[in-house]
Amino acid sequence: MRTADLFHATTFRLALGYLGIFMVSAVALLGLVSWTTSVFIDWQVQETVEAEAGGLSELYSEGGLVKLAGRVAERARDEPERRTVYLLQDAKGRALAGNLYGWPDAAPDAEGWVRFPIGQGGDLTVAAEVLGHAYDLPDGARLLVGHSLFDAKRVKMAINHALVWGLALTTLLGVIGGYIASHHLVARVEAMSRTARTILEGDMTSRMGLTGAHDEFDQLARSFNEMMDEIERLVEGIRTVTDNIAHDLRTPLNRLRSRIDVALLGESDPASLRAVLERTLAEADSLLVTFNALLTISQTEQGSRLHRFEPVDPARLILDVAELYEPLAEEKGVRLEARTEPGLIIAADRHLLFQALANLVDNAVKYSPGGGHVTVSAGITPDGVALTVADTGPGIPEEDRERVLDRFVRLDRQRSTPGNGLGLSLVRAVARLHRATLTLADNRPGLAVRLVFTRADEEGAPRRP
Amino acid sequence: MASLGKPPAAGSWRAGVFLDTLAFELSTGTGMRILLIEDDTEASAYMAKGLREAGHTVDVADDGTDGQFLALTERYDVLVIDRMLPGVDGLSIITRLRAEGHATPVLILSALGKVDDRVRGLKAGGDDYLVKPYAFAELQARIEALGRRVASNQPETRFKVEDLEMDLLARTVTRAGKTIDLQPREFRLLDYLMRHAGQVVTRTMLLENVWEYHFDPQTNLIDVHISRLRQKIDRDFDPPLIQTVRGAGYSLRAHR
Repeated sequence: MRTADLFHATTFRLALGYLGIFMVSAVALLGLVSWTTSVFIDWQVQETVEAEAGGLSELYSEGGLVKLAGRVAERARDEPERRTVYLLQDAKGRALAGNLYGWPDAAPDAEGWVRFPIGQGGDLTVAAEVLGHAYDLPDGARLLVGHSLFDAKRVKMAINHALVWGLALTTLLGVIGGYIASHHLVARVEAMSRTARTILEGDMTSRMGLTGAHDEFDQLARSFNEMMDEIERLVEGIRTVTDNIAHDLRTPLNRLRSRIDVALLGESDPASLRAVLERTLAEADSLLVTFNALLTISQTEQGSRLHRFEPVDPARLILDVAELYEPLAEEKGVRLEARTEPGLIIAADRHLLFQALANLVDNAVKYSPGGGHVTVSAGITPDGVALTVADTGPGIPEEDRERVLDRFVRLDRQRSTPGNGLGLSLVRAVARLHRATLTLADNRPGLAVRLVFTRADEEGAPRRP
Repeated sequence: MASLGKPPAAGSWRAGVFLDTLAFELSTGTGMRILLIEDDTEASAYMAKGLREAGHTVDVADDGTDGQFLALTERYDVLVIDRMLPGVDGLSIITRLRAEGHATPVLILSALGKVDDRVRGLKAGGDDYLVKPYAFAELQARIEALGRRVASNQPETRFKVEDLEMDLLARTVTRAGKTIDLQPREFRLLDYLMRHAGQVVTRTMLLENVWEYHFDPQTNLIDVHISRLRQKIDRDFDPPLIQTVRGAGYSLRAHR
């Protein structure tokens, strides 16, 4: 990805925005710290000055001006570098003691505090500022006590330096972090977008990679992949169906056509023409049956949760379907038995579900040998309400059980029995519409087809792999 | 029925209405006056031809506007209305008819075959619903069943066809005075056949009305049920009453 693109990336702009907000708040915070430090240092200097002045004032009230002058001189000697400064003047303005050469020119503020520059250090060449306070003594003398702000200034500067560097470093890290984060995110979005484009260009098998981080991107990628699986399945289904329709309907259509063709060729009498017409009609009807079955399957597969479901007693359906097929089973010498439990209820389209059950019972009776046994049952299982159609016929080999659900698939040994290979496809479509699980199992011997309607209260529960 | 023979005055119908009234009174007395509202003119021509051959009088309208006008102004025994029509759509015509108090039975024709579509059609006031494509025999049988329904509007409790009698209150069936024992479903099957005695009922009609499921059986299930019923009411008696009508279904009547 080019850098120019990166700066356009939403994530990067977002990162920059956050960084801006962060910097403004950092500057505000640092300003506050700096100001507070300054106020605190001034306050500390003032405390020092006031404490010193307090001591001197006590001495003055005990021993008068002379004693005070002595002490001031003593203190001034102790402060050759002039960290603390003193100046005592008598009423006439003559300096009595101290380490200042003259009374500062600067005007004191309302509380008597005054700031003025002095030279400091061993040779008094370091320029510094002093914060001092002037006291008027009762006999007209004046005392000035001050403390250098030099150290305080150094502390302040150190703090300000730290703050500025800290801010610079934060900004730098923020920019780098934002760049890396957005580069990472943009790279993943780009990868997804690339996958989508590949699919758009026709490669339906392309899927998004998972990082295994289980983050939102992985979730998105997983949902996308599941969506693509479903789309691919549907597209594949449509393709197979189209191919199969072309193949499976062309044969009877062709037969239909040649029958009419041949009938038109010969000089046939009305009776034989009528016979041809009747056979043609029967063939057209069977084509329509196949077509209708295909249509029902695709309509059922398109069905959504919007489909009209009503509360249905599956036991009723089981008893009805058994009753409907019982004469047919008897004719074939197959015993048809219905087993139900009372009080079952499912949300279903009763006509479609009945069609599915009828298809299953039809197969079961058709493939059961004489003397065979077909059981249709409805009952409650730990997974939900189960509808089962079981027979004692030849069954379906395990490797074919998935395949037979597809449209037009007929196993070789079924070729001799009538059928269009759509019965189980419809059952599967109906199962999907009802979100029921469809399983084909070995009935030892025979086939047991089971539809399990998961309970409504579990329907909304998220499925975890 | 005399008014049926009167040809319409020229110019009294709007353009597009194709009117065809039989110029003679039907001698059989079973003929009905049918309005066919269908925009597929080829299909409606076939339907009209078949129905006329069966002895009915047929008016055809090829769009919803003309169809609605005819349905509201003329008297018919049965209306056959396509669901999707240019002008006024089929369901709107039915709603309008019912709102204006017309009780004429309506058969809806539709290419929409889902249960939802059927329910919507019947809710709008349709009496029966036939999904395209259909066999002509199916259409004819349903039209005749609808026409008959109005004729016998009050609930009947006894039916009699030849020497076969059914008492709905006592739930008994006798033939030539002998009681015949029927399973509940066989009873309902015979009940339906007797209500439509003399008419053709199709296998689909039986599935829908006796079993009350809309579905396509893959096997001729109904035939097996009918043959069971025959065993009970026809085997030991004469004449046989349940007739198979080729290409259509069954009919309960003395064989002629």
